Amino acid sequence: MTLFPIAALLIAMAGGVLLTFLLIPSLRASAAGLAFGIFAGGGIGLGVASCLYFIALLAGAIRYIPAIDIGVCLFLAALCFYFFKRPNTPDCRQPAKKGKWPRLHLLLAGIFSVELIAWTTTFVLAHLKEPHGRWDAWLIWNMHARFLYRGGGNWREAFASGLDWSHWDYPLLLPLSIARGWQYSGVEDTVLPAVMGFVFAVLTLGLLLCALALLKGWVQGTLAAMVLMGTPFFVLMGASQFADVPLAFYLLATLVLLLLQGRSPNVRTGILLLAGLSAGIAAWTKNEGILFLPVAAASLLAATAFAGGWRQAFRRAGAFLAGALPALLIVLYFKLRLAPAGDLAAGLGPAALSERLFDWSRYTEIARAFFVTGLSFTQGLIDIRVGMQLNPGAVNILLLTAYLLFAGIRVEGRDRTGLLQTGAILLLMMAGYFFVYVTTPQELSWHLATSLNRLFLQLWPGAILVCFMMAGTPEETPVNVDGQGSTTVPQPAKSGPARGKRQRKREEVR
Amino acid sequence: MDKSFFPYRRRAGLLILIALTGYAILSLLWQGIRSSSDIPETDPVTIHEARIRQLKPLLPPFGEVGYATTVENDRIFAAERAFQNVEYLAQYALTQYTLAPLIVRNSPDLPLVVGNFLDGPPALGFLERHDLVPVKNFGDGLVLFRKEKRP
Repeated sequence: MTLFPIAALLIAMAGGVLLTFLLIPSLRASAAGLAFGIFAGGGIGLGVASCLYFIALLAGAIRYIPAIDIGVCLFLAALCFYFFKRPNTPDCRQPAKKGKWPRLHLLLAGIFSVELIAWTTTFVLAHLKEPHGRWDAWLIWNMHARFLYRGGGNWREAFASGLDWSHWDYPLLLPLSIARGWQYSGVEDTVLPAVMGFVFAVLTLGLLLCALALLKGWVQGTLAAMVLMGTPFFVLMGASQFADVPLAFYLLATLVLLLLQGRSPNVRTGILLLAGLSAGIAAWTKNEGILFLPVAAASLLAATAFAGGWRQAFRRAGAFLAGALPALLIVLYFKLRLAPAGDLAAGLGPAALSERLFDWSRYTEIARAFFVTGLSFTQGLIDIRVGMQLNPGAVNILLLTAYLLFAGIRVEGRDRTGLLQTGAILLLMMAGYFFVYVTTPQELSWHLATSLNRLFLQLWPGAILVCFMMAGTPEETPVNVDGQGSTTVPQPAKSGPARGKRQRKREEVR
Repeated sequence: MDKSFFPYRRRAGLLILIALTGYAILSLLWQGIRSSSDIPETDPVTIHEARIRQLKPLLPPFGEVGYATTVENDRIFAAERAFQNVEYLAQYALTQYTLAPLIVRNSPDLPLVVGNFLDGPPALGFLERHDLVPVKNFGDGLVLFRKEKRP
């Protein structure tokens, strides 16, 4: 029986991996690309399977969900078989770097393996302590999964139950993924939600590692994964069975795919469709994802317009939004037809809104919380009676800053637009969160104490990605330092740097 | 800046990063191992579930039941918001978690009411005021009530 939920996970992930390789065939050209496709596709597959399960629920066809899943998987496999008979295009291939420190790779791989074992053991111990997960797991996510699974034909009733404290307006990716696994096995257990938490944590870790391996080399990827593993709050949240780690995965996947697209001077529709799909699934994971989708689309539009002109910007943003559309339609249907009004929308009249917007003490309190939590959130769960206390611990934003200072900033020309865009997305998300707190009808200190550390954790893998994309790699020797204090790298002629019109013009002038 | 200094600086950065992340991971593992000796044979949620599950044969699979606890119902959420007591809310949420898809309303004014008095009995006169009559006492503070209609 336990094999069936595992089959549910594997079928979903296989479908996502096949879809990823179909949309980005060039990933097959390198080991890092293959690994990236497996981790990114695995998570995206889980999201797509959750969307399919929701459609099956609406159609009253959940009995047939294994057949539907297998059918989709076989269809994608047939497409892969058909298309992959052609020779692949290695345009995503990372030029093999001759390691000057071959021992460094071995050393890092060894340390990483030991840390991975320690990290996994910590995860299992945290699960054994609380097999049902922590507060929000049984108050929201697993409770929703139970209603959806046990409710049978009456599953809609929960949304009109008036149990506002369980946040029935929250999107359904995680509850539906759990209910789908139970549907496969026909048995409800506590193992599947925990496995789901573990799978998303591993996928996030693997995605960060492989994305940086693909974009910047294995050393940077390994170091970034070490930082994420060394974040106590990440492992605790994964074991707590909350939806914040799955959301962090989809945010990271979108950011990485947009960075990959940013490297290419052409519009790479496959990458943009997948990035859009990932952002759409983020909106299907948590309400914060609904903020992320327009922020990512707007940043893509603005960054591409800045680097390559409006025509290309609209084409890229259009492909991104086309990818997001299927998941977005599901989110819209859910929000408009099923979900009750959210607690943040309650009492948000013009008068109350204006009063909160012009209450400067709220800004001070939020800014203080952002500062303290920004330095301390990585350290784990907090006692909400005392709120977040300054506790930077060993791994935090200061460590990333210090590492940048030591390693030096080394941004490749082809990554500038992508990094600008990624940085803009992260900052705009923070600004969005800030204004959600300004306007929240909840008691402000309670709201900050119970959520801000999790919001920061959602963006944390993205922040690590940006840091290691900017940092010089330890195996490199220093090269010319330009007048602005950053180092420049001679570009390989065939690697297809994503230079926009402005940059090409600048180089021509030079 | 002297270029020859770069490799040493990068190596130093690498060492600091490895040392601090390694320390963080291993200390978290150590904390986990230390606290593993305190892991109870059965976790509190499972214990609470087993307790509440006894009610299931007497309850309908769907529909609504009421809820009563040691404090007045409006205090359940207020105590949590005031950072005073999260236990009342946890007990209520776990009752709903166990009995789903049956809806457990935070009100004693329904025909069937789950009484969850893990933290002590309700205030004097509470049951009488809401016309609650015990249907079955399961022990350990768990009582199923029905609302008696007043003549």
